[in-house]
Amino acid sequence: GVFAHLELLEAQAYEAAVKQEEMEQQEEKLARLKARVQELRLQRDKLRAKVDLQQKEQLGKEGAVSNPAQPSARAVLEWKIKSLKAMLQIFYLTGISGKLSKRGVCFCISTAYEGTYLDSYHLDLLTKPEVQIYRHSIPIFIPLQQIAKKYLQTDIRRFLSVLSDHLNAYVGRRYQADQLQEHFSGQIKGALQRNSLCNLLVFNYNVSTESKTFPFNVRLVYGDPCCSLPTKVVISCT
Amino acid sequence: MDETVAEYIRRTVLKIPRDEIKMILQKWGFLSEAQLETINFHQIKDNISQDVVQLCEENSADIKQAAVLDIIYNNIYPNKRIWSVYQMNKTGEETEFFDLTDFKKKFKRLLRSALKNVTINFREYEDNAIWIRIAWGTPYTKPNQYKTSYVVYHSQTPYVFISASVLRSNLPLLCQALVVASNYQDIREMELRSHSLNSLKDIVFKRYSQNFQTYCPRPLTERNVAPETVDLRIIQENRNEKERIQRLNREVFGDGPQPKIEFAQYKLETMFKSDPKMDVLDKKEPFRCLVKFSSPHLLESLKSLAPAGMADAPLSPLLTCIPQKARNYFKIREKKGFLPGSFVSP
Repeated sequence: GVFAHLELLEAQAYEAAVKQEEMEQQEEKLARLKARVQELRLQRDKLRAKVDLQQKEQLGKEGAVSNPAQPSARAVLEWKIKSLKAMLQIFYLTGISGKLSKRGVCFCISTAYEGTYLDSYHLDLLTKPEVQIYRHSIPIFIPLQQIAKKYLQTDIRRFLSVLSDHLNAYVGRRYQADQLQEHFSGQIKGALQRNSLCNLLVFNYNVSTESKTFPFNVRLVYGDPCCSLPTKVVISCT
Repeated sequence: MDETVAEYIRRTVLKIPRDEIKMILQKWGFLSEAQLETINFHQIKDNISQDVVQLCEENSADIKQAAVLDIIYNNIYPNKRIWSVYQMNKTGEETEFFDLTDFKKKFKRLLRSALKNVTINFREYEDNAIWIRIAWGTPYTKPNQYKTSYVVYHSQTPYVFISASVLRSNLPLLCQALVVASNYQDIREMELRSHSLNSLKDIVFKRYSQNFQTYCPRPLTERNVAPETVDLRIIQENRNEKERIQRLNREVFGDGPQPKIEFAQYKLETMFKSDPKMDVLDKKEPFRCLVKFSSPHLLESLKSLAPAGMADAPLSPLLTCIPQKARNYFKIREKKGFLPGSFVSP
């Protein structure tokens, strides 16, 4: 009856719509491919022109170097990377390097002792409203707050220089104490007494002659926090 | 050998996991290698500990050696205790020459002058950590070796880590002894507690990973290059959002592992904000409330909240400031409080 007829019409309409959609999709695809062909043709023309130019240049340069001094893109990139790495290495070697951050500067202080590279420490500084330390990885026993109080606001170069001196001296002393423990463990009697800053070392060792053995006690005091050599040595025979 | 010492050694050995007993006894060094060879470490722990006690009997162990064994055990398993952090202050600016012998002498002298019945033992470790074990007695009783406090102190630092155990009444005396011995002027307890001693050290010594932006020529860690299973049929709709969350997370938490704390506690003393018409509280007084977050590893779980989609990034600074502020107990008050606002919203 009526319903069946309506259903039929609906089905027909649906089919027609599907067909329409398919056709539209086909047309779209065609248009896209045509555009792509245009693109590729353009690119081909450009490349052809380039090749022509190069050939002309080569013919023109008589007696010039056969390989033109036009380095490939890859070579340029490699050179850039190399010189950048060298620059970073220079920064690292100076011991103090910095990078601007969103709200200030982040400094990296690298330490070394007699040619051996040791630890690196970081300082994140804010520059507004005034120069202040946001966060850091400086060991807690380095008097950072004292040094900051003296120089941070007034002379930031001096601040970094003094801090770097403290850190370098500390790692130098620590390195020497470690080396002492490692290479002279046989000679030292008992344990090497040290502390966090490595500014006081106490140890015992023996000196033997044919007849007797003399026990010695050594006390190394490093009075200058920026120096990696002792300022006072006390050796006693116990 | 004293019976109490024997029993103490026996109980200490029983605490150690069976596979580790030999290693710890070797570290202790009180029993010779030859003696250790005679012990069968595959039998049940009860028997092992009996054997150990017998050998200690032969060597005439006293309480001092037993205490050293206890220190070694606690140093290897510090997470069995809960540690609090104390901060010392002084006004002087001269460089400190920390003399270990001097420190030990002063510490013992001050404690013993106030309380005769204490057992005090020290042990120094490679990382400049000084472990102090104190067994407390009373003016009339011998020190109770099972009621011990532990102190871990790194020379020339203002932080002391104390695991006080039951007898909190001795705490003021202990603090005073520490202050005097280390040449500081006063000491206060910080709002920082955890089972993980090393994580507490990481937090106050700033050894945890903070994401510093520098040009340091370290080899870049291959963190972005993890090849995700590339199925071209799957399209990441929220790629931008995902990357934003990762970036924020990295900025806040850094790249490395987080210090391990088990809880964060927020004591709220703020006013309850509600529709005045609802008239929930007719007296306008602060709504006292305690919010406690606990987890086997709280900071790692906070770090994974945003990437897992369970919270919006960035997280509330109340949660993310824990390592930097070096505290996990907070009091939030109205107005001039920690942060303006009433409730913590992750």
